[in-house]
Amino acid sequence: MTSKQRIRAAIEHRQPDRIPVDFGASFITGIHCSVVEALRHHYGLPKRPVKVCEPYQMLGEIEDDLRAALGVDTTPVFPNRTIFGFVNENWREYRTPWGQLVLVSEHFKTIENDRGTYIFPQGDPTVPPSGHMPKTGYFFDSIVRQGEIDEDNLDVADNMEEFGLMTPAEESYWKKEAARLRGSDHAVVTHLNGTGLGDIALVPAPFLKKPKGVRDIAGWYMTVAANPGFVGKLFDRQVEVAIENLHRLHAIAGDVIDVVVVCGTDFGTQESTFCSRATYDALWHPRYKRINDWIHAHTSWKTFKHSCGAVENFMPNFIASGFDIINPVQCSAKGMEAKLLKARYGDRITFWGGGVNTQKTLPFCTPEEVRREVLERCETFAPGGGFVFDAIHNVQALTPTANVVAMIEAVKSFNGVR
Amino acid sequence: MKTILASLAVAVETGKRNDAKNLTQSLVDKGMAPLDIVEQGLVPGMSAIGNKFKKNEVFVPEMLIAARAMKECMILLEPLLAKAGIKPKHTVVIGTVQGDLHDIGKNLVSMMLKGANFGVIDLGANVDPSKFAAAAKEHGASLIALSALLTTTMPAMKTTVDAIRASDMAKLKIMIGGAPISQEYADQIGADGYSADAASAVDLALSLVGETH
Repeated sequence: MTSKQRIRAAIEHRQPDRIPVDFGASFITGIHCSVVEALRHHYGLPKRPVKVCEPYQMLGEIEDDLRAALGVDTTPVFPNRTIFGFVNENWREYRTPWGQLVLVSEHFKTIENDRGTYIFPQGDPTVPPSGHMPKTGYFFDSIVRQGEIDEDNLDVADNMEEFGLMTPAEESYWKKEAARLRGSDHAVVTHLNGTGLGDIALVPAPFLKKPKGVRDIAGWYMTVAANPGFVGKLFDRQVEVAIENLHRLHAIAGDVIDVVVVCGTDFGTQESTFCSRATYDALWHPRYKRINDWIHAHTSWKTFKHSCGAVENFMPNFIASGFDIINPVQCSAKGMEAKLLKARYGDRITFWGGGVNTQKTLPFCTPEEVRREVLERCETFAPGGGFVFDAIHNVQALTPTANVVAMIEAVKSFNGVR
Repeated sequence: MKTILASLAVAVETGKRNDAKNLTQSLVDKGMAPLDIVEQGLVPGMSAIGNKFKKNEVFVPEMLIAARAMKECMILLEPLLAKAGIKPKHTVVIGTVQGDLHDIGKNLVSMMLKGANFGVIDLGANVDPSKFAAAAKEHGASLIALSALLTTTMPAMKTTVDAIRASDMAKLKIMIGGAPISQEYADQIGADGYSADAASAVDLALSLVGETH
């Protein structure tokens, strides 16, 4: 099987020749740039500065040589603008606060003070920064820049600024990417623009220079509870634009894409969920279903939903909404035991993740403990397909290289790959 | 008065901040002591929402709107409490550890503790380890609460506990929480307690300061 066939078989719940693997094909299945550098060194690959392909979480690009060394079956097409609203182009060297020499876009514009590093939206230092990396941090967080709002008279248009139709620049970018990847034997994964409904990472709009509307994180959660009518209208408008963009993307790259990341909204906490299933059904389900139904009716793409946390009881809802894939499968959260998930939902949704705990095992345990957990998860999730191996969310900075290597080598060993 | 207090508790619990503010004002206007309004109106409201949260009947957004309603009532009551020289029985110093900017969980714990009538000194996020003991000393706190969301800032939680233990506030009780945190980790770094969510944090805080809930 080619990598593309392997991924497709897994998602279609057919037994692939071996467990497919993803690292680096999305912003939620990536590896921190410091770990990417360490892995390149470990596998004896040419020493060169890692490109920071996603500047918010400081994820490193996994180039073809590292992808081959890790046994990765996917390849990404990232949106043409980063979460800070700039294009990744004209790479330049940048020394990170932890001393690593990396490559960043020429539009990666920052200032530093005794609190840390601040980054500007769209690379424009004339407006307030939209991201902050604390002095001892390893990635950015959004700076909330919400102005005064009248909560009783919210205007949907204020929260719609970022959800526009595909621009000529985006169309041109996609045409180039489609030409580059047409015929690839890897599974092509991309993030859809504008289908993230209430994704809390995007609510503060770190890509906008002067965001309007509800942009505060706690404020957004309160709006969902106190003003669901507003949220529903916003989602409807978003979906209208998104469907039009899906038409356009399909016309350009319909035959190239395998998997689309639809939405990263987290419904789970460690112990519970952010809302009831009834709220999900009222606010999210009809809009998700519309997007997924369009995709399934018009394309061969598989739809990918990300939600951290304890979402075992939401699995039937995600399935009913038409998602093919759930990520990151946080098995350490309450009720998310791997065997239970596989038994209950394994024939109806693909688990993309769940490979190893990144809150405990991968960063803090021994390589042998990592190996044991990875092998156990492979035993559980692999039968019958429906599993793409990935750590539970991005591999974070400070993760010991020996542990990441133990994870990779355990999957290879399970797969019988030398 | 009892009816208004009961309505106030419901307004707080359901996050109806304008109602809660108006009811608080009407109790003040009727001459009710501010501490009685807190203890018989706001605390029962926050306690009720906390109990529903623990049973998964409500979720973080509902807790946030309840906390916001209570906060608006406290804006009216705090000057009156200060004027009457009334201080909370227990004070807690709370913050997110150095390198970590996440504060929703910390803010929620902070509001729930206020809702249980703790004095809360909130140091914010990305807090230098040395500041917790200093603030606890300055405000006569009996408890320190630390939050961390990231695996990369868990080491800063240990550094902070070590800094408190090495200070002249070494015997203060320390409670910790946050997504990657566990009781095992609390034991490992010498914290006195861990709680998994904001509602349970109130129970833990009360037990650590020797009160029953």
